[in-house]
Amino acid sequence: MHQNVDLVIDGSKISGRRGETVLDAALRYGICIPHLCHMPTLTDIGACRLCIVDHIKNGRSKVTTSCTLLVQEGMVIDANSERVRGLRRNIAELLVTQAPNSRAIQDIALRCGVTEPRYEFRSDDCVLCGRCVRACKEHYQAHAIGFVGRGQERHVEYPFREKPESCIMCRACVTLCPMSITPCDGPMKSGEGYFCGKCASLTQAPQYEAGDCTRCDLGEGFDCSGHL
Amino acid sequence: MPKIASFAELKAFGEQITADRDNEAILMTVCGGPGCQATRCHEVAAELRKELDSTSLNGKARLRVTGCHGFCEQGPIVVIDPSNIFYGQVKPADVKEIVDRTVRKGEVVERLLYVDPSTGKTVLTESEIPFYKAQTPTLLSQNRRVDPWSMEDYLAIGGYAALARVLAEIDPEKVISRIEASGLRGRGGGGFPTAAKWAACRAAHGEEKYVICNADEGDPGAFMDRGVLEGNPHSVLEGMIIGAWAIGANEGYIYVRNEYPMAVEHAKQAINQAREYGFLGEDILGSGMSFDIQVARGGGAFVCGESTALMASLEGKVGEPRPKDVHTVEHGLWNRPTTLNNVETWANVPAIINNGAAWFAGMGTDNSKGTKILALTGEVKNTGLVEVAFGTPIRTVVEEIGGGGRNGRAVKAVQTGGPSGGCLPESMFDLPVDFDVLWEKGSMIGSGGLVVMDENTCMVDIAKYFLKFLQDESCGKCVPCRIGVDRLLEIVTDITEGRGRPEQIELLKELGETVAQTALCGLGKTAPNPVLSTLRYFAEEYEAHINENRCPAGVCTELVEYSIDARTCNGCGACLKACPYAAIQGRKDKLHTIDLELCTKCGICLTTCNDNAVVVQ
Amino acid sequence: MANSLDTILEGRRSQPHQLIEVLQDVQHDHGYLSREAIDTVSESLGVPVMEVYRVANFYTAFTLEPRGKHVITLCKGTACHVRGANPLIEQALGLLDVGEGETTENGLFTLETVNCIGTCALAPVVVLNGVYHPLMTPARLRALINRVRREEEEGTGHA
Ligand SMILES: Cc1cc2nc3c(=O)[nH]c(=O)nc-3n(C[C@H](O)[C@H](O)[C@H](O)COP(=O)(O)O)c2cc1C
Ligand code: SF4
Ligand code: SF4
Ligand code: FES
Ligand code: FES
Repeated sequence: MHQNVDLVIDGSKISGRRGETVLDAALRYGICIPHLCHMPTLTDIGACRLCIVDHIKNGRSKVTTSCTLLVQEGMVIDANSERVRGLRRNIAELLVTQAPNSRAIQDIALRCGVTEPRYEFRSDDCVLCGRCVRACKEHYQAHAIGFVGRGQERHVEYPFREKPESCIMCRACVTLCPMSITPCDGPMKSGEGYFCGKCASLTQAPQYEAGDCTRCDLGEGFDCSGHL
Repeated sequence: MPKIASFAELKAFGEQITADRDNEAILMTVCGGPGCQATRCHEVAAELRKELDSTSLNGKARLRVTGCHGFCEQGPIVVIDPSNIFYGQVKPADVKEIVDRTVRKGEVVERLLYVDPSTGKTVLTESEIPFYKAQTPTLLSQNRRVDPWSMEDYLAIGGYAALARVLAEIDPEKVISRIEASGLRGRGGGGFPTAAKWAACRAAHGEEKYVICNADEGDPGAFMDRGVLEGNPHSVLEGMIIGAWAIGANEGYIYVRNEYPMAVEHAKQAINQAREYGFLGEDILGSGMSFDIQVARGGGAFVCGESTALMASLEGKVGEPRPKDVHTVEHGLWNRPTTLNNVETWANVPAIINNGAAWFAGMGTDNSKGTKILALTGEVKNTGLVEVAFGTPIRTVVEEIGGGGRNGRAVKAVQTGGPSGGCLPESMFDLPVDFDVLWEKGSMIGSGGLVVMDENTCMVDIAKYFLKFLQDESCGKCVPCRIGVDRLLEIVTDITEGRGRPEQIELLKELGETVAQTALCGLGKTAPNPVLSTLRYFAEEYEAHINENRCPAGVCTELVEYSIDARTCNGCGACLKACPYAAIQGRKDKLHTIDLELCTKCGICLTTCNDNAVVVQ
Repeated sequence: MANSLDTILEGRRSQPHQLIEVLQDVQHDHGYLSREAIDTVSESLGVPVMEVYRVANFYTAFTLEPRGKHVITLCKGTACHVRGANPLIEQALGLLDVGEGETTENGLFTLETVNCIGTCALAPVVVLNGVYHPLMTPARLRALINRVRREEEEGTGHA
């Protein structure tokens, strides 16, 4: 038996289950809040910050990540306020210019309204979303990979750079990775400052409007389609 | 060692100590704080001890080695009481004269007295020195009255009396309401009302609760927490025990940063003493309360000052912050209710109980009560730790206490609050030291670092400096901080290296705002402050870099060139020897020149030349 | 004499939360964290190697490689920065021909920087083998390094 709480997201009244996050509740109702590091069944760490929403309380609103915010009775959430959309666009811009060679990331960026990135492209092949690391640890207790180093040096690595015996070769790290689910090897090379536009499905992707799920490509790799 | 079992016993014991001490005796106080240690105060202390042992003064004069007095610039410091004579920059060789003349005959050694740089006159006593005079001494001034290794010293100044009173006659709720009435706000940076935190933690469900003292002090330019913890560790312990009583905690931790081995040592031995005397352990002072404290060393990571990262670190994990949608007062260390306060916050607690909430609330401004210890550093004459009541204008701190700019240069700005704070221009120095006022102006008190800057400091370079620091110290977990701060740094670096474009100013502001709003923890949320505040108050410096390719302060190396002025150079060759890159040529007594191909603009020749012949343009 | 791993681990086995304290002691007594030490600590405390390795890499107190005989620590805190820490760093880098955090080829010097050591009133500060040198200038730093070098050559050096 779930204990339910009523809350309002983007003006729609929805019924959340006590203990679930605002993001999970929203996705169950087909309200798509962009997200990247969130994966159902993995602990949420709030790393990508794409899932930010306005949490309105006592007339004040506070920006916070919906994947780490638990539903509460009477909560009012605005996942698409102008402020949130602007901030989200800026975060997506940071992400896509850092790691442009993934269709998943490009898709997120376009959908969040990034059209002309203002920073020079780099070509990282990891966005440090931690899906692989958490799957390895939480699903398989393998502890074979982890985040090593801090700040700019943070990266995913085996201990002492050698594959440990604890790795059970499940390949979960590869199948969950937004960089490898939908790689894009062509246009986004470091130094080229704009989207090439060759990828029709992406450029046609409509910007997200409040309330309507666009069933984007991301759904497959990113598991919100499963909720619908 | 006596174990003290009740309030009455403590009182009797304290009176005994005071009676035993011959008030007539001459007391020589040597500062043994970290600053003075760097200037070899232990040699002075050893020499004094030798002198006292070898002469017939035994019993007539005592020596006390204490924690930091605040005026580190003048170290090693010897103060002679009861006459309160202050000797600064004392050398071991001066000791004999001090003992022979001042201690034996009551004469003054004129040459060791402090000279007030603004009047050129010597000052006889410590209390007359302008640096000390404009302060409001409450916490820091205790340092010179106690040897941190001596429980007796602490008891002699009324130590643990607040604890004894609380345990004997004040209910936990009442303790919290007294703290509330005092208006005490956290000294660690956020300025969160301490009583509210305690009350929430008290109300939280859980058998096991913790109190933690945050002695991570990672802000560069801040050293007040070590000043208090090293100098007067028992005051921190007493505060924590009172807090534990109020909250209902049974275990405590002091989390000390790795770079402070002396703080670790002092805290540990104070804890051992407190256990022996029965202030820690089972059934404290017969009240039935059980509580103990452990010291944990940090591993050298600024982010571990952040509450959730600190707790992760205490659990033996990587110090990554976690989202605080669930508060640490409910789910903190090991997921149990936890109260984290700063060193200075804890040390204020016994004073509030002893002197009353009204006393404390009587100092300061409407919303910032009591005093704050500031670390005054940078381009100012007098540097060190200073304690002022909230509401004191910044100008008083910089000019009266600090004595104004160094080397005759004009002060341009102060940077307050470390990497989370901002820079305020000289025109705003009449602003009071106040949590909310500084926050509104785009800076903050933070932990209390106050770095003075003059015309030789480039504000764009300062922004770059802090961004670099934060980029180094970010844990790297969340996108706005890891990538956002990196991009901010990229843009500011462009500006300092002559690649800046006017539209980047707007981008800096927009990106700064994004990082501030969306980063996961306090580090990222405040990371843009140094950039945003310098943009706000020193826009013309940014513009000079961008539009004219010019660094007004001559700091940004890409925008300046070094040369040697032919008229001034006397051919001494000092610069030639000093240049690590062999970029200077010239023969003895002939004009020297700089090879711009080899010159890395490190600035060493500039600091080496005694005749100011090196020119930066 | 350095305590052996066994001594350090005594009374702390199977207590994962002791990880940082244990590594601190190993670092202090052995000068660095060897791979063997990390494996042993992981096993005794019951913490996965991955986690120990992560902790060892996250905190600046830990090094995975032995350090030089003499450790020079340059403070680059705000107060030191404002009063000219950069020329000092340049001086040391140039003189020793190493990068920040590196050890000279002959294993004599390790050059480290720290973001603040808390004696800001006497900035800029340099620490040589734990001894603070306040109000540093490039010239005095040169003299200091050269003195250590000379003592090493004459065989009178001691860390
Ligand atoms: C990045 C970061 C670093 C911090 N460093 C410290 C610190 O070194 N010392 C400290 O007392 N508080 C520090 N804080 C603030 C603490 O998180 C916490 O708010 C404080 O210790 C609470 O104590 P208070 O209420 O007594 O101020 C830091 C916060 C952040 C976000
Ligand atoms: S490797 Fe892939 S899944 Fe793992 S953190 Fe990087 S981007 Fe995420
Ligand atoms: S804001 Fe910075 S330090 Fe804080 S969690 Fe994010 S990356 Fe880590
Ligand atoms: S999905 Fe919430 S922060 Fe990444
Ligand atoms: S250390 Fe002696 S006065 Fe500060």
